[in-house]
Amino acid sequence: MKSFWFSVFSLWLVASVAQAQVNVVVPGAQKRSIAVTGFAGDPNLSAQVADVLKNDLRLSGYFTIAPSSQAEFVQEGSVRIEGKNGVIECTVIVQATKQYALKPRSYTGSAADIRRLVHKLADDIVAAITGEKGIAESQIAFVLGRTGGMKEIAVMDYDGHNARQRTFDKSLSMHPRWSPDGRRLVYTSYLNRFPDVFEVDLFTGARRRLASWPGLNSGAAFSPDGQLVALTLSKDGNPELYVMNASGGGLRRLTYTRGGESSPCWTVDGRNITYVSDDRGTPQIYMISRDGGEPTQLTVSPSYNTEPAWSHPPPGSKLPSMLAVTSRVGGRFQIGLWDSNTHAITPLVADDADNAEPSWGPDGRHLVFTKTRAWRPRLYLLDVLTQEQVELPAIEGGASEPAWGP
Amino acid sequence: MRRSQSLFLSIVFITSTFLITGCGHKKPAEPQPGGQAGSVSSVPPGGENLGISEAGGEHGPDFGKVDKSQFQADTVYFAYDSAKVRPGEMSKLEQIATALRSSNSKLVVEGYADERGTAEYNRALGERRAQSCREELVRLGIPAGNISTISYGKERPADSGHNEEAWAKNRRCEFGIASQ
Repeated sequence: MKSFWFSVFSLWLVASVAQAQVNVVVPGAQKRSIAVTGFAGDPNLSAQVADVLKNDLRLSGYFTIAPSSQAEFVQEGSVRIEGKNGVIECTVIVQATKQYALKPRSYTGSAADIRRLVHKLADDIVAAITGEKGIAESQIAFVLGRTGGMKEIAVMDYDGHNARQRTFDKSLSMHPRWSPDGRRLVYTSYLNRFPDVFEVDLFTGARRRLASWPGLNSGAAFSPDGQLVALTLSKDGNPELYVMNASGGGLRRLTYTRGGESSPCWTVDGRNITYVSDDRGTPQIYMISRDGGEPTQLTVSPSYNTEPAWSHPPPGSKLPSMLAVTSRVGGRFQIGLWDSNTHAITPLVADDADNAEPSWGPDGRHLVFTKTRAWRPRLYLLDVLTQEQVELPAIEGGASEPAWGP
Repeated sequence: MRRSQSLFLSIVFITSTFLITGCGHKKPAEPQPGGQAGSVSSVPPGGENLGISEAGGEHGPDFGKVDKSQFQADTVYFAYDSAKVRPGEMSKLEQIATALRSSNSKLVVEGYADERGTAEYNRALGERRAQSCREELVRLGIPAGNISTISYGKERPADSGHNEEAWAKNRRCEFGIASQ
């Protein structure tokens, strides 16, 4: 239902917001208003379900929550427990026409996972009204701080709830990255003293050591088709960029420099890899074909650009693929968008804190990142179109290096 | 406005350059408990101590313990964002080389970065610091095969302070003897 002109406006907005580096908030007219009237049933359960739904609809970026009298859409529903299952029934009506925006739908699943049912409902509402893919069902992997300076890999719902630890090594485990099917994570761990690349299956817990060459094995990232993994190895001298088969083997070296290469990130078509190199002095962003060859330097200023992250918009999205980077400007870290025309970086999140570690959501519109004040990192979501930032609930032990999954 | 248009065009250009390919994202059906914000469930799927399989390929050495007591005074320090061994630090590497030349000990070089820097870049920087020390030691006659490097990036600072004095202590390489 989203019009072409809205898409054009969205693109223009990205451009102007990125360029103007001011906190432009999209006019209220851009968002649709919806009234969440609640869910008939047990009052506590009903309130919980309504709260989760309101938060999901707000975080989607497409809606404001309004009273029924002023809302374009009105939600109605019920919730009940049947044995071990929770059952949510819901509909959304266009107030003006009394037509269904979302036809009556029923969601059944474990009562303990009722938040997951609401997330599914929220994504269905987003899809029915806007035609876009929502983020409410997605997951974020992150590095979980533990006592004694230990770090483990954990996964949580995109809204910061439901965090689950996924490694238990009492070691240093870092830099998680998702397989495109959302089933596995690759990460760097010092379990065997040296930094090696491991893979964990989130369903079974089974693990595999993917790369353990002498020296540094780190920065692994799956290709968009899940067949290849790009990573940094120092087995031949200084840290260089390599590609290997995700199943193991097939190792190929891509870069040959005197500097260090790190943080590989795949372009949406899976043909190129964007990465950081300090071969010419300070760390800058480069791009190279997955088959190797001559790299292209993408950034020249400011003097410190790292953590490249391409957005991978879902099929059918009107949004372009955008390259976010972390730059250091005036001693502070800020997140910016790379402009392919001027090769300049236009600030996106720049304030009195250190903003870093950007990772795009599956809608290609939101980022998760860390905002660090007084050396305490907190996870935030950013809507790139509206510039709105939302702090996620604090995680016991601390969370960093977020990676937004499918 | 003209700049926004040019950025708009460039973004459109990016879209057309990097064709969007569908990945067929499937929703995970991973089992999970209902969770409170803030708390972290530690119930592993499949148990905590599942074995770890190997994907093949060559492996680094498998050391038992690393004893760092012998070279505690020889920690090499670096300038900000640099992996170059400064002339003033060279005497430390010469001492280490002298101690190692008479033995066939395996040396572990640990590279570290200060906390001002992004995580993965600092892991590469720590590795380059360790490799710079290794190169000098090889020049001083230590066989390259006897020296392993580990980068900790900005993890495990020597000084947990957040000031220039602490950062200077944290941009370093530490040395230890490995028992196999």
